[in-house]
Amino acid sequence: MAGAAHPEAMAPRKKGSTRTAPPQTPTTWWSAPRIRTYLLFGATGGVYLLMGFLVLRLAWALGKGPQEWNAALSSLSNPLYIGFHALVLVSLIFVGLRAFGKMMPKMQPRGGPLPVLPAATVRGVIYGAWAVVTLFMVLVLSGVIF
Amino acid sequence: MSESQKMMRVEITRFDPDKDEVPKIQQYQIPVEPGWKVLDAVNYIKDHIDPSVAYRWSCRMAVCGSCGMMVDGEPKLTCKTALSDYGDAIRIEPLANFPIVRDLVVDIDGFMDKFRSVKPWIVRAKERAQDMEELNSRGTYSQTPAQLDAFRQFSMCINCLLCYAACPVVANEPEFIGPAAIALGHRYNIDSRDEGSRERNAIFRGEGTVFSCSFANECSEVCPKNVDPAAAVNQAKLGAVIDWAKGLILPKGGA
Repeated sequence: MAGAAHPEAMAPRKKGSTRTAPPQTPTTWWSAPRIRTYLLFGATGGVYLLMGFLVLRLAWALGKGPQEWNAALSSLSNPLYIGFHALVLVSLIFVGLRAFGKMMPKMQPRGGPLPVLPAATVRGVIYGAWAVVTLFMVLVLSGVIF
Repeated sequence: MSESQKMMRVEITRFDPDKDEVPKIQQYQIPVEPGWKVLDAVNYIKDHIDPSVAYRWSCRMAVCGSCGMMVDGEPKLTCKTALSDYGDAIRIEPLANFPIVRDLVVDIDGFMDKFRSVKPWIVRAKERAQDMEELNSRGTYSQTPAQLDAFRQFSMCINCLLCYAACPVVANEPEFIGPAAIALGHRYNIDSRDEGSRERNAIFRGEGTVFSCSFANECSEVCPKNVDPAAAVNQAKLGAVIDWAKGLILPKGGA
């Protein structure tokens, strides 16, 4: 066994008379491929948290005045920020594909409330939406519009 | 035993609550026959080498759900898992996330508490005389094939607890009701004969809430009967939200 689970995991409400060994987690917890995918899925939360801080920073700059705002916008051209935005884009696509490709079909109870679109349509919509958003951002940042 | 017979090293978790502070691993060298399942190896050890090994098993045909164990770190029904899928060595441990009673036997009382909490039986709000007359004319609680199909998959659960051993939320949140119990509660919620979904949805939203599920999907990956508990849990989330919203909007919660 790899490590300890929560000491009270699956403990009965009333303790029995037999002394038990504490529950363990599986040995493969960190190494199984599907667990890695799940952890990667969870790790995208950290990316969104950082993105939230970035948005807060921009909002703060907006409140401070035009000079701060322009400085904040120009700082976004830093390669680090561009790399970060690429990471956010990849994270969102990954989560979108996992959510719509895996979760939505599971949400479909037989005769349930949500119709599920074909997987190819869902993929097309997600990639299409992000292509449009990316194109829009490129046009804005390059000064073609606005 | 022929000279060419394959030998295998089997590592088994041993724990005696009267002697041991923590579980330890014991190794056995056994001859294996072609076609053996993991359970056959444990039975061989029990019958020929060490009669003190404790474990649960019964039907040997993946129906009773008794022989769930961790095989090389994966929750498996040992009567359904071929030894030939593994190399020259194999590690057999008690189901993860459960307190260990002895060797490969885990304490399932915590599961039974959760199991009971979701009211896994048909709840009828009231039996009206005229309804009963009508019901009796059709056969009590009759269902169409489509109504049966709506929940049939979730009723295939054999309570083998592999899903609990695989679930990362169960490992970290003791209150979480867990995959099999939620799947069973949801199975009754979508049963056309049942009228207890409001009670169960309240339980699903309460302590041990279904919303603790982070959709690792591990439960469905390891389920030996293809029940797909992850589907049930996520459908139960939706059902619990719809029920909550109805309670806010409709008079008497839409009852």
